[in-house]
Amino acid sequence: MTDKNNKIPFDEDNYTHNINRNNERKLDRRGFMKTLVGAAGVFAVSSLPWGAVAAKELVGLGDKKYPKQKIVDVKAIPVGDAVDFHFPGEHDSAILIRLSENKYVAYQNACTHLRCPVFWQKEEGDLLCPCHHGKFDVETGAPTAGPPRRPLPEIYLKVENDTVYAVGVKRYEA
Amino acid sequence: MKRSYLPVALLLAVLMLNIIVTQYMVHQYFYQNYVSTIVAGIMNLILFPLAFLIYKKGVNVND
Repeated sequence: MTDKNNKIPFDEDNYTHNINRNNERKLDRRGFMKTLVGAAGVFAVSSLPWGAVAAKELVGLGDKKYPKQKIVDVKAIPVGDAVDFHFPGEHDSAILIRLSENKYVAYQNACTHLRCPVFWQKEEGDLLCPCHHGKFDVETGAPTAGPPRRPLPEIYLKVENDTVYAVGVKRYEA
Repeated sequence: MKRSYLPVALLLAVLMLNIIVTQYMVHQYFYQNYVSTIVAGIMNLILFPLAFLIYKKGVNVND
C-alpha cells in the first residue's frame, strides 16, 4: 500500500479529512441559554390565540343574535301545560312549559342522547325521552335519569303584552 | 474566563414563570374570566423580550 495520504501537503483526493465531528452535539452554556430564550418565544406565541379568543368573548362576537319569535299567547297555555314550537330554525323543535303563573321554561327538545323528542310529563313533573327512558329536570334541563349525560339547551324567553317570545339559546357548555 | 451561571438561573426562572402564567391563562379562559386571560397572555408576551435581554447581557459580559 502507498502512504499517499501521509505526505505533507497530501493529495486532496478525499473530501472528509477536514470534517471534525468531536463535540458536535455538546450543549454548552450559550446554547442552553438560546434554547431557553426560544422556549420563552414559543410560550409567547402560543398565548396569542388564547388572548384573541378571550378578546372575542369580551367584545361579544361569540354571542349569536337570534330574531325574537312569538311562541304562544299567555291565555292559550294553562299553568302546568306545555306547547311545542320551533326555534331558532324551523327544524329545531323545542318545548315551552308553564311551571307557574309567571314562570316559563323552554328547551330544545331533542334528547341529548340520540335526539329523540322529549315530552313533558305533567303528572310526574319531569321531561321524558321515551326512546330510552331518559329524564330531565324541568327547572334546569339537567339530565336526571337514563342514558343522556348533557343538559337540554335552554331557550331564553321574554313575556311581553301577554305573549311569550323566544329571544335566544343558551350557549352550549360541555 | 470564569463564566457566570446567573443568567442561566434567571432564564430558568423566566421559563418557570412562563409555565405558571400559561396554565393560569388557560384555566382562567375556561372559568370565563376573560380579562385575567388577556392579562396572563400579555405577561407571557412580556416575558419573551425579558428572556432575550437576559441572554444578551449574559453572553456579552461573560463570554
